[in-house]
Amino acid sequence: MEQVVNGVLVVNTETIPGKKITETLGVVSGSTVRAKHVGKDIFALFKNIVGGELTQYTDLLQEARQEAVARMVADAMTLDATAVVNVRFATSAITAGAAELFAYGTAVKYE
Amino acid sequence: MAIEFEIYYILFILVIPFLIFSLIWTIFGLLYPLVFVWGIITSGKNIDKMIEDVNRRESETRKLRGKDPLSTIDGGYRNNVSDSGLVYASGVFGPSHWHLLIGWLNNLFGGSVTIFQKVISTGRAEVIQRLRENAIADGWDDVINVRIDTADMTPQSSQKGVKGVEVFAYGTGIKYS
Repeated sequence: MEQVVNGVLVVNTETIPGKKITETLGVVSGSTVRAKHVGKDIFALFKNIVGGELTQYTDLLQEARQEAVARMVADAMTLDATAVVNVRFATSAITAGAAELFAYGTAVKYE
Repeated sequence: MAIEFEIYYILFILVIPFLIFSLIWTIFGLLYPLVFVWGIITSGKNIDKMIEDVNRRESETRKLRGKDPLSTIDGGYRNNVSDSGLVYASGVFGPSHWHLLIGWLNNLFGGSVTIFQKVISTGRAEVIQRLRENAIADGWDDVINVRIDTADMTPQSSQKGVKGVEVFAYGTGIKYS
């Protein structure tokens, strides 16, 4: 995935499998609020009447999550971290059609 | 002359959004019964189709790998791991308005509200299967420390908008050396 290509390893385990953590640098986080344009909101409203998956919002959250992770990685890079471990995600809906995505983890150095 | 023009300009700007919104809601009101009836006919069938589809893909993955690549335990005990990285999948699923009505009636009598349980568990199975497929597409052998989150898409403060839940699954993909 593209966030690992940045040179920072991202995992949600407490340790990095097969590697040794030498130093913790603190909590890093990234968040983003995204919304779709009205046309897609209206389409989703109609799709909701029939039920099933709301593809517009799936895409919205997917993009938002990628951005949140990218910001978290950028935050970790300012600390010269080589990995972010124990990553957690949180989602909150502010209004219908806009979502806040929050990603956080611990920046570490490993060898 | 100039002042008159400005007044018209302001009126124009004020009126246009109202016209657009009223037009949209009129179209919505006219189409709603049709879409609702369409939902009654198709929504039950669509869920059954989704369950069938997920089960088929799941058994394909199991056949390909010999076992389920996902596990919820931390992989600290493994020492032959060469590479690792984050892998995730998500989806937003909602019951149809017909199912909401059935669910509301079901609520009156109490007990388990089977219809919502069916919708959400189908969505969850779909997302878990997507996680498996993403992991295989990224070239991971196994996925450890899998977590599954469910978030409400409709904010508690307002009852407008879509009714749905977001299912999100993530884990750490590992590659054996």
